[in-house]
Amino acid sequence: MEYVNPLTGFRVDGRRPNEMRQLKGEVGVVARADGSALFEMGNTRVIAAVYGPREVQNKGQQVNSKDALVRCEYRMADFSTGDRRRKPKGDRRSTEISLVIRQTMEASILTHLMPRSQIDIFVQVLQADGGTRAACINAATLALADAGIPMRDIVTSCSAGYLCSTPLLDLNYIEDSAGGPDVTVGFLTKMDKVTLLQMDAKLPMDTFETVMDLAIEGCKAIANYIREVLLENTRRLECQRG
Amino acid sequence: MESRKPPPSALVDNHVVPGDVVLDLTEMTNQTIKLGAGLRQDCDTIQATSAGRLRLSKPNKYWVESSQKRYIPSVEDTVLGVVVDTKPDNFLVDIKGPNLAFLPVLAFEGGTRRNIPKFEIGTLIYARVVKANSIMNPELSCMDATGKAAEFGQLKDGYMFDTSTGLSRMLLSSPTCPVLEALGKKLSFEIAVGLNGRVWVNAPSPSNVIVVSNAIIKSESLSGIGQRSMVESLLERLS
Repeated sequence: MEYVNPLTGFRVDGRRPNEMRQLKGEVGVVARADGSALFEMGNTRVIAAVYGPREVQNKGQQVNSKDALVRCEYRMADFSTGDRRRKPKGDRRSTEISLVIRQTMEASILTHLMPRSQIDIFVQVLQADGGTRAACINAATLALADAGIPMRDIVTSCSAGYLCSTPLLDLNYIEDSAGGPDVTVGFLTKMDKVTLLQMDAKLPMDTFETVMDLAIEGCKAIANYIREVLLENTRRLECQRG
Repeated sequence: MESRKPPPSALVDNHVVPGDVVLDLTEMTNQTIKLGAGLRQDCDTIQATSAGRLRLSKPNKYWVESSQKRYIPSVEDTVLGVVVDTKPDNFLVDIKGPNLAFLPVLAFEGGTRRNIPKFEIGTLIYARVVKANSIMNPELSCMDATGKAAEFGQLKDGYMFDTSTGLSRMLLSSPTCPVLEALGKKLSFEIAVGLNGRVWVNAPSPSNVIVVSNAIIKSESLSGIGQRSMVESLLERLS
């Protein structure tokens, strides 16, 4: 199957190699949560809810009392994919992605300001079409900002791949499952620091750098969008109040 | 070197998001700046840590004004807390903060070992924050600075609901918030607002309590004129 048309240079879904899917973000979607967000990257749709900082419920989990305990739970809804999922709650993939999201968010959250407390991040994939972990990190960032949890910087994530000798930005499910290299990057834009870097295949070093740079550019574009969503939300509240 | 006043940030009264550089300290020497909520120093810059509007209180206090559901305790704030546990020396009170607050059994007017108040779990208390430090649990008191009970203590009857911290500040602002002013002209009710985003309402009839509560909840996303017209429409339905 041709993932990039050799004549037009367009991908399966009509995008250019360095073009992202359409982004859509919304905050305050879960009334009961302290902070929540819905984030869409094309057909991938994710909802995140944040509770905290609050009293630690299980004292045994807190290793360092000088910092807040960050907990994360990633789940895919049964109806999120074409075939109805019948996987148990704690499957290995979900556990691994939960850990990835937690570590990425911990790099951004100022945990030392909230000692002996816990922050819970719950992420649910409503619709999956590739790049779920990147979408989850972006949704979690929006939800944390909505909850007013102090952060060093906005952390964003984007994936990039290498198919048909072409670096591709923001892979969808068809491209993701083609078996080529898939690089997911988490990035603190203002600080210019990488907080997450995952790749599930081999790539020559020079090609890898090209793909990673492409993913970082994607992260910067997402950061600009998330920034606009947050500013718009703050403005909207103030405009309503006159 | 002469001491100059700090140049106000170009972002003052503008919206900021986490990571935004608010002030550059390299341009400022021999000056003291006070940082409030939502700001932190990182090397030679002052950065925002939360989304909101940057505020400056002359001459040198900067903070980010935002609205959340969670509350960060601050000394002298009045809060509405719910008793979640009782210990021999103090009550553990939930004030919607990162940690439970302590309310010493002697922190009441004329409090002695002989007249310790008996609060059951779930009791609603209006109290004042006397100690707030990130490394220890906040401490509350049901006395004012002079040792009098004033308005503090247990709140009986009525109805308590949660709001955002921004709405709480709006309700306590001066001049009186339009929604409370409009309601006060037509209805008689008692209200206690905690800066932690909790509101308690009591009135002679349950219907009045419901009207007041609904009006306050709806007022968060309305302007002053909108609040007044909303109260009028609610009162029309009541009559």
